[in-house]
Amino acid sequence: MAGPMVFEEKGKFLERLRGLVQEGVPVERIRVITPFGVPEVEEILPGKRSKVRFFALVGAASGTVTGFAFTILTTLSWPLIVGGKPIVSIPPFLIIAFALTILFGALSTFAGFLLLSRLPSLRGIRSGEEYGNAFVILVEEGERR
Amino acid sequence: MKRRDFLWLLGVISGSTVMSACGSPNRSAKFTSYLLPPEEGVVPGEAGYHPSTCTECPAGCGVLARVREGQPVKLEGIPGHPVNDGGLCIRGQSSLYRLYHPERLRGPMARDGVKLRPISWEDAFSRVAGSLKASREKGRKDLFLSGRTTGSLSRLADATCAKLGIERLSEYEVYSHAAEKEANGLLFGERDLPHYRIEEADFLLTVGADLLETYVTPVAYTRKISSARARGDFLWYHVEPHMSLTGADADRRFAIGPGRERHLLSFLLREVLDRKTPKTPLPGELLAALPRTTAKGVSGETGIPQESLKEIADRLAAAKRPLVIAGGVGTANTGGLETASSAALLQWVTGAIPERVDFARSENYRAVGTLRDMEDLSARMGRGEAGVVFLFRTNPVFSLPPRLAFKENLKKALLTVGMGDFLDETVRGADLILPLSHSLESWGDVEPRRGIVSLLQPVLPPLHDTLSDGDALLGLLGKASGKRLAGGYRDLLAAAWEKRLGEGGRRRLFEKGYVEETLPKKAVSLDGKRAASAFRGAGPAEAAGKPVLVLAPSLRTFDGRSRILPILSEIPDPLTTITYGPWISVSEETATRSLLRDRDEVTVTSADWKAVLPVKVQPGLAGGTFVVHRDALPAPPVGTDPRTGGPLDTIEGVAIARTGKRIEIPILSGSFSQQGRGLIPDPVHLDEERRHERWTLYPEHEHKEYRWAMAVDLDRCNGCAACVAACHVENNVPVAGSADHLKGREMSWLRIEPFYEKGEVAFLPMLCQQCHYAPCESVCPVFAAHHNPEGLNVQVYARCVGTRYCSNNCPYKVRRFNWRQHPWPEPTDRMRNPDAPARDVGVMEKCTFCLQRIRAAKDKAKDEGRKVRDGEFTTACAQSCPTGAIVFGNLLDKESRVYRLAHSERAYRVFETLGTEPSVHYLRGRKP
Amino acid sequence: MGNAGKYDKVDRDILAAMGKPGRLYLAGLAVTASLVVLGGILWAYQIRNGLGVAGYTHPVNWAIYITNFVFWVGIAHSGTLISAVLFLFRAKYRTSFNRAAEAMTVFALMVAGLFPLIHLGRSWVFYYLLPYPTQRHLWVNFRSPLIWDVFAVSTYFTVSVVFFYVGMLPDFAAAKQRVEGIRKKIFSVLSLGWKGTDREWRHYGMLYLFLAAFATPLVASVHSVVSWDFAMSIVPGWHTTIFAPYFVAGAILSGTAMVITLVVPLRKSLSLREYITDDHFESIAKILLFTSLIVTYAYIVEFGLASYGENVFEREAFRYRALGEFRYLTWAMLFCNSLVPLTLFSRRLRRNTTYLLVVSLLVNVGMWLERFVIIVTSLAHDFDPYVWGTYRPTYVEVGISLGSFGMFFMLYLLFVKNLPVLSISEIKEHL
Repeated sequence: MAGPMVFEEKGKFLERLRGLVQEGVPVERIRVITPFGVPEVEEILPGKRSKVRFFALVGAASGTVTGFAFTILTTLSWPLIVGGKPIVSIPPFLIIAFALTILFGALSTFAGFLLLSRLPSLRGIRSGEEYGNAFVILVEEGERR
Repeated sequence: MKRRDFLWLLGVISGSTVMSACGSPNRSAKFTSYLLPPEEGVVPGEAGYHPSTCTECPAGCGVLARVREGQPVKLEGIPGHPVNDGGLCIRGQSSLYRLYHPERLRGPMARDGVKLRPISWEDAFSRVAGSLKASREKGRKDLFLSGRTTGSLSRLADATCAKLGIERLSEYEVYSHAAEKEANGLLFGERDLPHYRIEEADFLLTVGADLLETYVTPVAYTRKISSARARGDFLWYHVEPHMSLTGADADRRFAIGPGRERHLLSFLLREVLDRKTPKTPLPGELLAALPRTTAKGVSGETGIPQESLKEIADRLAAAKRPLVIAGGVGTANTGGLETASSAALLQWVTGAIPERVDFARSENYRAVGTLRDMEDLSARMGRGEAGVVFLFRTNPVFSLPPRLAFKENLKKALLTVGMGDFLDETVRGADLILPLSHSLESWGDVEPRRGIVSLLQPVLPPLHDTLSDGDALLGLLGKASGKRLAGGYRDLLAAAWEKRLGEGGRRRLFEKGYVEETLPKKAVSLDGKRAASAFRGAGPAEAAGKPVLVLAPSLRTFDGRSRILPILSEIPDPLTTITYGPWISVSEETATRSLLRDRDEVTVTSADWKAVLPVKVQPGLAGGTFVVHRDALPAPPVGTDPRTGGPLDTIEGVAIARTGKRIEIPILSGSFSQQGRGLIPDPVHLDEERRHERWTLYPEHEHKEYRWAMAVDLDRCNGCAACVAACHVENNVPVAGSADHLKGREMSWLRIEPFYEKGEVAFLPMLCQQCHYAPCESVCPVFAAHHNPEGLNVQVYARCVGTRYCSNNCPYKVRRFNWRQHPWPEPTDRMRNPDAPARDVGVMEKCTFCLQRIRAAKDKAKDEGRKVRDGEFTTACAQSCPTGAIVFGNLLDKESRVYRLAHSERAYRVFETLGTEPSVHYLRGRKP
Repeated sequence: MGNAGKYDKVDRDILAAMGKPGRLYLAGLAVTASLVVLGGILWAYQIRNGLGVAGYTHPVNWAIYITNFVFWVGIAHSGTLISAVLFLFRAKYRTSFNRAAEAMTVFALMVAGLFPLIHLGRSWVFYYLLPYPTQRHLWVNFRSPLIWDVFAVSTYFTVSVVFFYVGMLPDFAAAKQRVEGIRKKIFSVLSLGWKGTDREWRHYGMLYLFLAAFATPLVASVHSVVSWDFAMSIVPGWHTTIFAPYFVAGAILSGTAMVITLVVPLRKSLSLREYITDDHFESIAKILLFTSLIVTYAYIVEFGLASYGENVFEREAFRYRALGEFRYLTWAMLFCNSLVPLTLFSRRLRRNTTYLLVVSLLVNVGMWLERFVIIVTSLAHDFDPYVWGTYRPTYVEVGISLGSFGMFFMLYLLFVKNLPVLSISEIKEHL
């Protein structure tokens, strides 16, 4: 079963995919290309949940820590009195930490996505492999069970 | 990299670095480093203080000129000086602007058709000499007219005129005090103003005399009133037709119809005579001449209610050491002679002479003439009798009424010589202009009153090609008499001082700037016959119910002479907060009736004169009274009092009419009412529990050695704005100008806020409160505003990006933003205090409690290994205040004055409930 | 043809907008571009001569520039609401708006970000506001709401740009197959070589979910932070706790109004009726009505605080706002923000896009006036009555404001012609 299987219709494509899985083709060797995200594919080709979420967690946590550390350490390095407020003022620093949580979290998630999806891919940019709006199933060569 | 290459690179880099330091001469010119000081005695960075005398008005206060690198940058009153004792008024502080004014005359000029051509001093003196000769040939009279001149200069003027055959005319002053002089002359044979020792009185009654603003020697009077009040048993009533700072500061003020003062004083005289018998009874002739009055009649004439009349009379009679002073607007009317004579008689009868009314130390107004003298002068010139006319430091063309035709008659003289410092109205029309140096560039002496010799010494060489007063006269003398004089004015002075004061006196004169001489006592006796003549021939009754225009003296410009100084237009008039432009004050009653609002344009017309002015509604004025400042009307239509020869500053029968237009004048105050906010609380705050406990989650910040604070005593402050002028000069606060003021962009760091309630006004000097919990500091994104360990709210100009959030958050709105670059036109840039940093456009600035002075004091104390002592230095505003209302010091020092005042019963802080914890404490407790 | 055809049709319809520009488009572009140039010249003039050329004065130190800043940041929020928040709520109708809304967010933030620079007294040292290690080891004052703004708005901008871009990633891949020349090259690069494999889609789904989750709190927090520029001060009329929800609701209100203003003509000129239906507009209109009611509530609360409190400053601030010099602006604001949206209770009016366009324009005006009124009237009459003043804008502020509007619409026009205006992949997904 070499060569891409191109389908114009979603229903037919899903049928064929289910068929392939039932036939016992290893899930790791099946690749599909769709013009948009098809949730059924996730069910048919079960895989581990995307690890992008770890990037999000790490990013957000580092944002919080950075936010507090940055603000607290810089204010302690030159403790200027403003408005009689204490040198380490947690409420305003919280806002900075919050903003950095979101920022680092978002950027980290994006970076994680790029990393895990192996993007940007020069091959993809330059390639002529264009399927338009078709649904494609590719089975990679490899060991056959 | 190979080692050789590395060394080569190192050499190239260090060589080029060294070479780049060989700058062009242009670049190194920017550095200010003196290896050899420019002048002996000038140490760069250190200030020298040299005593001299202020000449901005005739009072003659002693000043210390603070000189940095050969330029005076600040004037301060000489502590202990018998006239001003350390204080200096708004005009005195501003007189530094006169020295550096860009429009000062820069050299002698001669008229060439319409234009003025610069000439040399030689040439100028030759022309004068030539004209003197020609005038003698033609049989004309040469005349010398000056303002009030005292001391050695006066004697030199006499000598010069005598030698050259010039007639020295009576001195011309707008405030000639003609009525008082005539009265004193008739009654006591002393045609002069006595020295009033107000500090000895327990009840002071002033009628019209604006003691705090322009009357004779305002700073001295302010000081005296302050010290009298400090005793605790002093009461002061003031009666006036207009509204003045003097009236606002008095314990009670009574508004009187203009020109009606004589009725009041006659009444009071009668009352006192009825209740107390004087030691020596008055001559019968005099008693008979005194007018008969009833309380009801007087009340009707003056507009003062009968209860008030009784109250004044009671106080006057009950006082042990009363003092009555009538003058200013109070005597510049048709009843002036009577008013002044009644007042003088009251002095006599209550035993004020000589303890509180001292003719021995009179104020040196003897030689000052009257308006009638000017009428005569103008008539003489009109008849073509004048040859060479010298106009020496006087501006009659500006201030004389048009009916004198002074300007036109002046043209008939052979040669007019204008001697002054600006191209004012008089000098501008002269044929020959001889510019005179500023007093800070001149040698001389001043005798503010008898018994004081005050030094005038130059603190810098003349900025322009000008001569000092004395040298100009000597130059004239030398050229015209053909004799070469040995030495200049300085040598003349040295000899005179040696002779008069002796070696010791001369040394004291240079050390302290003044010498007080002991004078023999003067016996004064009452001449009953001549006194009676003062009361006969009383003027006609005043027209009732017609509007009257009162020409009032101006705090900011004296008689108009200081209006050339831009700073005095920049600082608002304390009662109206108007800065640029003249106005007419209208009573609230008139405003409501005629539907007049602030800035409405009105025409003011009298018999043959018209003016167009914007309106300002003034609470406290009686209906039908309109007030205009002297300097607002060039050539005002004043009449001459037939009996005293003085001016009639109340102009009757004026018509005020709306034109329907508006004149945009800057009125800086956004509201004359406190709007119920308690900025100046009623003394009721003394009864309330004021010290609210403040609880906080956070520990307080510690102050280690110093915590700077200020106490402002509102019971002493009279709104004179001397502090404002001092702050401007000390901190290089720019003069913003009228266009900026119209937009509300004034730059003053300190301002006087007048708040009116029920016709009474109180003044609040508002400056940066240096809040402990400053709302401005926490919102500055770049730390440009933060708190220093000594309790000051500091503003770092170099760091400010100009978000202006700090100004938004300041409840006192004391932060001023630089909306544009404020250039300092040459030579005013020399006036800037080098210790106060320059501010860029787009940067916020505000009061710093004169941080440069704090630092200088701390440095000095550190050099001597001690802490700064209380009173060792103070801020510019506190230093200049004539009443001593502002006190500055270290709050951590429990012995300091500011600590005691801040913890006194009368202390409160503005907007305390906001929790800003200001460091400025205000004191108010005097019940009216 | 069947299903395949319909996907191609989606591509064609949406990418048709990128064709040759018509005369009306070019005219619009010319006008907006010249406004931008005008704004730029006036800003340069202001930098040269100081902020005094504008109408600012003591005590009104903030006026039109900050009004614009808050206005544009507010508008940005609606975009994020539609793309992120509605995504989390699985609201299907968002697909027709979300690309236009995200673009609106990004452009509004670009314009908004200029104003803190424009209103600085010394714009050339704006970098003092950024926390970087200076030579003197001085950092910035994190307690200042303006620094919170720096962090919040730049975070918001970054996240919005990332979100915008991520949303377009599959669309670039789809579009590159249908265009030629330089555009094809640019889209190829921007698509990062996206193929649409199941692995990519899996990661993409989680990425999008997390970005939406990160962006959602920003909707509430960023405008809260901006409102704290005012609420954290002590100025009467500003210092009130209701500001955060009030401003956020106001932001959504003005943002949805701006979405309607942009999308109604967009739909008409690009013939996208099929994809952006009246149902979609009705849903947006409901959001507008809802947020308008919240804003009205806030007005009532302010009135209550002023009349029932014993605070003389608060009372005067409210009185001045309602009856003082700027009262006409206050009344116009109440009319546009509170009264006009009430008509949207009628279903018929909700579905009438012309009427919605009119309402949205009025709401935009009303929301701009609201910021102006809040800022200027509170500053003009605050604590010390001596300093009460007023404010009159000059041509400089007006010109720069016009320039900002020009910049926003110019960017939007450029966006319409050069980027896919609808979310292609999502529309296909829901077909």
